[in-house]
Amino acid sequence: MIPRIKARTLDLSQTTVDWLEDRTGLVTMLEHFLYEPVPKRGKWLYSLGSATLFLINLQFLTGILLLFYYVPTTTEAWDSIYYMMTEVYFGTLIRGIHFWSANILVVVIGLHMLRTFFSGAYKAPRELNWVIGVALIFIVTILAFTGYALRWDAEGFWAWEVGVKIGSYTPFLGNYVAAFLLGGDTAGPATLSRVFALHVWLLPAALAPLIGVHLYLLRKHGEFGSDFEYTRRLAELRERQQMEEYSVLLEEENIEEDGSSRG
Amino acid sequence: MPEELQKDPVSRGEFLVMGALGTLLGAVMTIPPLVFVLDPVIKSEFLDQSDIPEAEWIELGSVFEVPQGKPITYRVEFPQIQSYALEKEEEKTKQEGKAGSIVEAALVTWRDGEIPDILKGRGEGRLSEAEIEELTEKLNIVNNHCTHLGCPVRWLEEKREILCPCHGGIYDLNGYVIGGPPPRALYRYAFEIRENGGIYVRHEFDGNPYVV
Repeated sequence: MIPRIKARTLDLSQTTVDWLEDRTGLVTMLEHFLYEPVPKRGKWLYSLGSATLFLINLQFLTGILLLFYYVPTTTEAWDSIYYMMTEVYFGTLIRGIHFWSANILVVVIGLHMLRTFFSGAYKAPRELNWVIGVALIFIVTILAFTGYALRWDAEGFWAWEVGVKIGSYTPFLGNYVAAFLLGGDTAGPATLSRVFALHVWLLPAALAPLIGVHLYLLRKHGEFGSDFEYTRRLAELRERQQMEEYSVLLEEENIEEDGSSRG
Repeated sequence: MPEELQKDPVSRGEFLVMGALGTLLGAVMTIPPLVFVLDPVIKSEFLDQSDIPEAEWIELGSVFEVPQGKPITYRVEFPQIQSYALEKEEEKTKQEGKAGSIVEAALVTWRDGEIPDILKGRGEGRLSEAEIEELTEKLNIVNNHCTHLGCPVRWLEEKREILCPCHGGIYDLNGYVIGGPPPRALYRYAFEIRENGGIYVRHEFDGNPYVV
């Protein structure tokens, strides 16, 4: 009885998958997106990029949910967060996920960068992907910092002031950077609006396409250091060495033949 | 033949027109949003406009309250017009008690902590111009934001120093740096002492504190 149900379920699911594949090409697409050969050495360390992508998606999802309650004004910002945490069902959970995954994200990105560095995955032809990765880290850092300020509690407010002051030390442009970050010459409602615009719109809009390019380049060049790549490079190297040795031998033989024929 | 070498069907004139149109289109698409976002930078840095209305003197307290050897801290609130609150709106909200404002603290001390001789053994009363001049020279009124990264500083009674809790900036009673990373002394308010001994400050400093 059970084996028959199992077989039927399998048949049905296969039919469904085939039907979807015929009409949309979804299975092929998923296979293409989800499978990527990685080097044997390192194994799980190659999942750090995927973990980063997962956490960023989590940020987008929980961030959108938080927007249903968050009020970006100096008088209501913290109150709206407090309301969310104390009155809204699962408010603590949703905000907790947003907060903690943001913290973990920064750590995971750091580890991902270290793995890329120590496995030499920044070398040609993958330099551009390294540069894009650095830009992504930069954006994520500003996202984390602006998110901190959005709470507009004592911690967030003073952290932003410190950030503005750090920005004011920019050579030649310090005054302009500070005025841009403050939205004037003092901290107030316009400052929070700016932080909100940066955190919710501008930076995610910059982040999303760069992630797309990062993934495209990863797929184009593959993971660096795979067994296949090493094997191929070693084979090419050996072939080149053999060719060189062979050409040297040939030259020597030719010289000898020339000498004997003259003699 | 030069005509044969000219394989590109675009003529020089057409190329220049396309270039000019492209530049114009690019400018039309980028300049308005850029200026829109940079509006506060233009207003505060190029047009010298401030969020704090000019010539607004705020009363802190009286010279007769400033103690010997330590600062007295006043909470000072300046009306603030930022972005949306036009002056008319500001007036309206002020009447309803909801005016935008920026709250700071001012640390007031006598130079080196010494009460001036003219105030010793003298009760409260009207001050002469000469007395006001002398007191003005001997009064320090500094803002409580550290000059390093803007954190709020506070007076430590046991150390007799002004300390910044963020990175350990230390200032003396007059607001001068005596240790840590601050690049300069605490920012001094523009102030005036009036005949009745009242101390008034304005949102104006001996430098640009940025975050104040």
